Amino acid sequence: MSEVDTFMFNVFIFSMILNTAISLYGIFARPTLIKKIIALTIFSDTANVLAIAVGYRAWPTVERSPIPPVLTTSEPTASDLTSFLQTAVDPLPQALVLTAIVIGLAVTLFLVFLTLQVYRLYRTTDVRKISRLRG
Amino acid sequence: MNVKKALILVSLIILVLTLSAAFTSSALGHYPLPLSGVRWLASWYLYTTLNPQYPKFTAMSPEAVTAIVWDYRGLDTLFETAVFFLAIVGALALMRGISLKSLAESNETTTEGAGSGLSLISKTAAKLLTPLIIAVSASIALHGHLTPGGGFQGGSAAAVAPLLLLVIFSVYFLLRRGISEKPMLTLRTAGLLGIYLTALAVVFTGLVTGVNAYVFQNQPKFDAPVGIPAYLFNTLVSGSLFLFNLSEYLAVAGGFTLVFILLSIPEELVMSLIRGEEHE
Repeated sequence: MSEVDTFMFNVFIFSMILNTAISLYGIFARPTLIKKIIALTIFSDTANVLAIAVGYRAWPTVERSPIPPVLTTSEPTASDLTSFLQTAVDPLPQALVLTAIVIGLAVTLFLVFLTLQVYRLYRTTDVRKISRLRG
Repeated sequence: MNVKKALILVSLIILVLTLSAAFTSSALGHYPLPLSGVRWLASWYLYTTLNPQYPKFTAMSPEAVTAIVWDYRGLDTLFETAVFFLAIVGALALMRGISLKSLAESNETTTEGAGSGLSLISKTAAKLLTPLIIAVSASIALHGHLTPGGGFQGGSAAAVAPLLLLVIFSVYFLLRRGISEKPMLTLRTAGLLGIYLTALAVVFTGLVTGVNAYVFQNQPKFDAPVGIPAYLFNTLVSGSLFLFNLSEYLAVAGGFTLVFILLSIPEELVMSLIRGEEHE
């Protein structure tokens, strides 16, 4: 069972690394601004998923999976809190990622606006052509 | 050209190998399997998020993520809201000089007949869905201190409703119903003002009553005995968390709706404006 877990975790990590490489290739090597923005969103999503993975924990026992960091009672007893501590995942990466997603959406919208304006003014989104423009 | 491509390929391979080396030497904390417990900081957050036994430490919210976002790490979120605000301001600055009012008035004569928008089926479905989207987003935002969710998520979900109307009807449909630049700016400013006032509420209370108090304080602390009440009419509202979620909901929903409306301004209008500026 442990070998399967290790294999699956390795597959996950390696796919995230490949995602990072592909998105960085898109950001740096693709000439079109739109494709750069798409690659940037893939890159930020990869970073977010990795941040969530930092907060994951191993299964407490074979039958019990980790739970989200939300208490299901509004008047917890001491035993509730103890079992919550033993099963809940780390809430801090989730809190950071939650704001990062919304901020990322706002920044992406701003970049889309910039690209739209560049296209309206110069009739192209190709950075090679834009860099050759004079005046 | 081929040298350049080879260089890109080699640097990508080096990147993949470096990252793999970093992860195998436990860049995520532990490798390959995750830790069997959580870190000390996380166990502190989990233990005190709703713990009436320690009233000077707890955030009084069963949702640990919202407690971190608006209580333990509240100032981080304040500055993240500032980044959001600046991105919207940047988009607005790019679109300056375009009057949405004239756009709505110039199309006063065109009716919402067969010519504008998508088919009748999509329109009917959109009419049914819009109130549901608003209701779900309000539920996400206002129960953010009890269940997964909060102001950011609720606001993003609420902005889907005007986006749907924008696509299925038209931008004129929204503008004629008063969902335009000014009301959305007002909504966003009201949200930001709400965040500002909630962050300073305990400081003002401390100033009036003459005791020590902090910015972004929620529950009473050891050297600051004032706080926002966690219960309102015997309902758990988690002090400032509910107010922050409500304000952030308004700010995010207003900001995104504003940007969506600005993105859908007809191309001819913008182009005529740009050409006009060039000739001057």
